[in-house]
Amino acid sequence: MAQENETVLRVRNLRLYFQTRGGPVQAVDGVDFDLRKNEATVIIGESGCGKSSLAKAILRLLPRNAGRYDGEIWLHDQNIMALNDESFRKEIRWRRISMVPQAAMNALNPVMKIGDQVAEPAMVHLNMDEEDAMKSAVRMLEHVGVPIDFLHRYAFELSGGMRQRSALAMALVTLPDVVILDEPTSALDVLTQASIMNLMKRMKHELETSFILITHDIATSSELADNVAVMYAGQIVEVGDARRFFPKPLHPYSHALMASVPRLRETIEPEFITGQPPSLLNPPTGCRFKDRCPRRFEKCDQEPPMYTREGDRLVKCWLYEQPSA
Amino acid sequence: MATDVVTGDFNINAEVDVKSIEATARKARAQSIRRLLRYTLLKLVALVITVAIGVYITVIVANMGGEVDKIRMATIRETVALAATADPSFKNLTSEERIAVINERVELEAKRYGLDRPFILRSFEYLKDAMTLNLGFAQQLVSDSGSRLVRNIILERLPSTLVLFGTANLLLFFVALFAGLSLSRRYGSWADKVVLALAPTSAAPPWFYGIFLILIFAALLGLLPFGGMVSAPPPENGLEYALSLLEHMILPVSAWLLSAIFLTIYNWRTFFLIYASEDYVEMAKAKGLPDGMIERRYILRPTLPNIITSFALLLITLWTGAIITETVFNWPGIGQLYARAIGAFDTPVIVANVVIYAYLLALTVFVLDFVYALVDPRVRVGEGGRKS
Repeated sequence: MAQENETVLRVRNLRLYFQTRGGPVQAVDGVDFDLRKNEATVIIGESGCGKSSLAKAILRLLPRNAGRYDGEIWLHDQNIMALNDESFRKEIRWRRISMVPQAAMNALNPVMKIGDQVAEPAMVHLNMDEEDAMKSAVRMLEHVGVPIDFLHRYAFELSGGMRQRSALAMALVTLPDVVILDEPTSALDVLTQASIMNLMKRMKHELETSFILITHDIATSSELADNVAVMYAGQIVEVGDARRFFPKPLHPYSHALMASVPRLRETIEPEFITGQPPSLLNPPTGCRFKDRCPRRFEKCDQEPPMYTREGDRLVKCWLYEQPSA
Repeated sequence: MATDVVTGDFNINAEVDVKSIEATARKARAQSIRRLLRYTLLKLVALVITVAIGVYITVIVANMGGEVDKIRMATIRETVALAATADPSFKNLTSEERIAVINERVELEAKRYGLDRPFILRSFEYLKDAMTLNLGFAQQLVSDSGSRLVRNIILERLPSTLVLFGTANLLLFFVALFAGLSLSRRYGSWADKVVLALAPTSAAPPWFYGIFLILIFAALLGLLPFGGMVSAPPPENGLEYALSLLEHMILPVSAWLLSAIFLTIYNWRTFFLIYASEDYVEMAKAKGLPDGMIERRYILRPTLPNIITSFALLLITLWTGAIITETVFNWPGIGQLYARAIGAFDTPVIVANVVIYAYLLALTVFVLDFVYALVDPRVRVGEGGRKS
């Protein structure tokens, strides 16, 4: 049923390296994934695995020390990597792809009223006049549950949850094709987290927008996910649809991730993965997870290809070389 | 997922209650005006008290806590005694009678100067005089128009200081601000490196550059005047006067700029570099806003309080002029007056300078606070620590 939706975003072999004194940091190293209309793809990984860099790479928000940046990003039938910076800014940013940042507190301008900030993208990108833009800002703010009298308030006067809602309204005001949610709930307390997750679920039902949810929080991500992509050391190691991924992940790293989630009323101790994720400055050759992998064998010294399993699940691990494995 | 849900129940064209938007806007405006008024009043009261305390301390210090009275009493006694020995009618009196008469005259004289009352009482009168800008007479200095009134002496000097340092500092401020902003956006470019390399030139004071500029442009090349404010005699015609003034300002303004410009640009560039890496600036970039809008709304506006503070501090330094630079360029300003007053031990002029400075400082701080409350919504009075 999910496959019926058309593909909105196709990322192919995306690379983003950072130039440092020690050499290039391979933050995003050949990432492929698809996003279908009105679906949510969750990108799961530990801190420092390149998740946020991936979000930045999609929106072309490159830091000053960006080095190699290539690959293809197809938005419908257009390769947006081929656009020059000015047309990328005008045609893609916020108009087609927007984002909700990690900490909305710092992402909102401290001296601009919430209403003005939410209305701003509509004025810049949809050529609305101030009144129309303000109206759509009000509609969107009400829609995400921000009371109308917050319109003339400033970010510092709002609670964390309200700020995150305002940031969400700001991301949705231009009705973009894709919204990137970069750990949208990690700075919030659990109750607010739950209400924001519910809100995002509702938004997904009510708008025709696709979501990329970047998170390390497996438990809450399962609420929203249609598809899951597991990222490790700058690479995607497993892709699959959520209903089959969560009960039975394929890659040993995905296994370990799932096992680390604490469970209520169960005697199973949450497990942790021994060792540190590898440095992206000089990643190990072969499988990047091999040093921490419990099921390592000789072949892991060579880089594994992506294997297709169960029709459409992808996994980058030598264990799946044999069709029967 | 059922497909009918996908079409959604969110209607982007839904009716919006415009009236309620306006009502909330009105309410917010009324609230901020009340807040501003309250803030202003509190600040004004606090500043007047601060100035009074500052001036009182100056009065105490200038009179050495009453020690100056002893010097004045000794001077009176000496004058009276001298007059008495010169007076022939004293010759017939016995020494006891003579001392009695002298003491009587000294007391009379002391009473005339108010020295019979305790210093602590008079210090408050001095405070009142200073606060009401009743500055009195100078002991040594005379204004160019021949007045001994301290007020006239200072007012005569103030415009020349303001015109020179106003021009120099405003030029410095705005050039450095915008150059800094532009460099922060082109971090690491060759222009950035040049400014970085030249920043240490600000270690030398302006008069140092002034001496070299005079040497080159006045002595060697003979293009510009050595010093002074206008050519002598001053041109009658207003336009000619202005041109002559401009000609005389070129060297001191250049010296002032040369000694500070690179470090100031470097400071602003670093300042903006820090603020340009705030999350909300990154977010503005993600929002696809044009560069000019990002600079205005997301970099300049949030940093406006800092920029205004810097500007106000600059204004405050204006009032005092610059003692050595004015002397090097023979500029008839407040700085030069200060130098002369200190040299001549002319305490009323020194005290008056301090009093006027205190008032202007207070005024600047007052306006500054007012502007803060206006430009930064985070400035709140009487609401406790609700900031962020």
